[in-house]
Amino acid sequence: MSQIELINIKKQFENTEIVKGVDIHIEKGEFAVIVGPSGCGKSTLLRMIAGLEDISSGELKIGGQVVNHVSPDKRGIAMVFQSYALYPHMTVAENIGFALSLQKVDKQEIKQRVKEAAEMLELTALLKRKPAELSGGQRQRVAIGRAIVKRPQLILFDEPLSNLDAKLRVQMRAELMRLHREFGSTVIYVTHDQVEAMTMAQKIIVLNQGKVAQVGKPMALYQQPDNQFVAQFIGIPKMNLLPGAIKDNRFLGECNQDVSLTQTYHNATLVNLGIRPEHVNIDHQGNEWNVILVERLGVETFIHVEANNAQQVVVRLEGNTDVAEGQRVGLIINPDVCFLFDENGERIHPKLDVLNVVQNSA
Amino acid sequence: MTHTHSLPESASNRKAYMTLIMISFFCLIPFFWVLLAAFDPNATQFLAIPKDVTVAHFWNLFANESGLRWIVNSVLIVGLATLLTLIFAGFGGYALSRTKAWWKRPLLYAIILVRIVPPPALIVPVYKVMLALNDMVNSVIISITDNVEHQLVLSRIFSFVDGYLGLILIHTAMQLPLAIWIMKTFFDAIPKDYEEAAALDGASQIQTVRHVLIPLALPGFAAAGLFAFINAWGDFLMPLMFTSSPELQTLPLGMFRAFLRVDAIDYGFLTALAVIYTLPAVIAFSFARKFLTQTFSGGVKG
Repeated sequence: MSQIELINIKKQFENTEIVKGVDIHIEKGEFAVIVGPSGCGKSTLLRMIAGLEDISSGELKIGGQVVNHVSPDKRGIAMVFQSYALYPHMTVAENIGFALSLQKVDKQEIKQRVKEAAEMLELTALLKRKPAELSGGQRQRVAIGRAIVKRPQLILFDEPLSNLDAKLRVQMRAELMRLHREFGSTVIYVTHDQVEAMTMAQKIIVLNQGKVAQVGKPMALYQQPDNQFVAQFIGIPKMNLLPGAIKDNRFLGECNQDVSLTQTYHNATLVNLGIRPEHVNIDHQGNEWNVILVERLGVETFIHVEANNAQQVVVRLEGNTDVAEGQRVGLIINPDVCFLFDENGERIHPKLDVLNVVQNSA
Repeated sequence: MTHTHSLPESASNRKAYMTLIMISFFCLIPFFWVLLAAFDPNATQFLAIPKDVTVAHFWNLFANESGLRWIVNSVLIVGLATLLTLIFAGFGGYALSRTKAWWKRPLLYAIILVRIVPPPALIVPVYKVMLALNDMVNSVIISITDNVEHQLVLSRIFSFVDGYLGLILIHTAMQLPLAIWIMKTFFDAIPKDYEEAAALDGASQIQTVRHVLIPLALPGFAAAGLFAFINAWGDFLMPLMFTSSPELQTLPLGMFRAFLRVDAIDYGFLTALAVIYTLPAVIAFSFARKFLTQTFSGGVKG
């Protein structure tokens, strides 16, 4: 049985439905990341799990118990807010120990547990300071300390790293993963940053317009996206889409691409071929595409090309390249790693070859 | 870099400062006069450096006149009114800050509109209302006890006209609109995150108010309380309207009546009274200043 179960959860604000029926299962000890663009309902979902927002319909179970109407503090959870929400009039020690002192925990024990949490987060030297005297990263750690001192079975993170600079963010990412390993609590982590999702998650839940677009392990989402949205959301730079049609197992693009597909598909029109920048190569013989921008990053180079009909494609090359802006080139698309999506953005799966199935089962 | 222009600049600066100093001095003359005359045995209506220094005027105020009674009355009435104002403004300001009801804006503007009406314009209707309430209170008092002595004491405390309660409540009502606005604006600046964090920490509503909201709102309370105290302290109209017995006399009334006495005006006595009258306002300000300048930062970011 999963530790956290969301069963057809919905949220309505007046007449707009923010969360449109979400089913999620999260196992004990799992690090789950809910990711999606802004306005997809991910923060609302987290706030519903926390109990800060009413659930319009559906069931929320924590440890098998329905907790729809249980108050936040009785759910056995802790939350790290995007704004940290440290009490500014309390010292670091008081901030971390506040929840325990409300529970009337023995003073000596509070001191001990605050000390343990502070050691874990390297805050020991700062215990007597007020939040105003701390740096962004230190405040972040106090906010985490306030959560773990309660020894919750579930910790919720609401975009916790979005206020930190890029370098600190990378550092905190590693630190959060270390804490998760040491602590073993289940984590639900909300972010709009797919890099955070890919690097930290054991399970990613991609949310789009109030619905779950796909759930899976990071690499599964990258390698086998269920739909165009997930395909484009996961991976930087995002996946290229080329409109066209499938005919006789060939993809015929609007910009004269002709890709012979390695698996069998039904004929179809109005499809998109999705191909990641790292799976496209430059053909120096061709001349259908105009190079409009070359970004050289040392280890890799991104080449932006444009066709006559304004269709753009990004190509990623290892190392440096002699391709220059203004040059005309062709593209080589690797047919083994391309995806096909129908007009609704759903993945078109290859036809099951009868012969293959028979062979495989034999 | 200032050296190149130093001559003309400093000359014009000097002129500007001289002018400003003269204007300031002119403005401060009345205050100097009050201070000097209060300690001058031969105080007159002219500004003069006293030849002797005396505290006889203050002695006169407390020993021969009922100065102490006036001070106690003023402090009691204005202090309690300020306390009540802060309690109501705390609740009201919080509610108005957090509610999303449609009547929020109309109500807020109505509160400001109330302040536009000059208080003297309200003398007659307010007096009528207070008189009606007073009759009610008195009938209750009479029904409670037959002892005339007790009735007198009770009516002194609880009467709406010529009683402490009436003055306290009318001061509260006068100061509440501004205080509610100040507190509402202040609570607007306190993110809801703090309350949500407290809820997740397991704090009850009362604990959230006590441990989180009140400490965070202290500067707001200090500002609202200071305004309420100083406005009510300086108010002359309400005590004039609603008190008649000498036992209820407050400081501004005492001063006014001392000034109106038919025999020669005792400037020493009046200025001593003015000094005493000013002190609590100064004390209130220095007390509130500690909280006013206390800004909380660093709790949230975003």
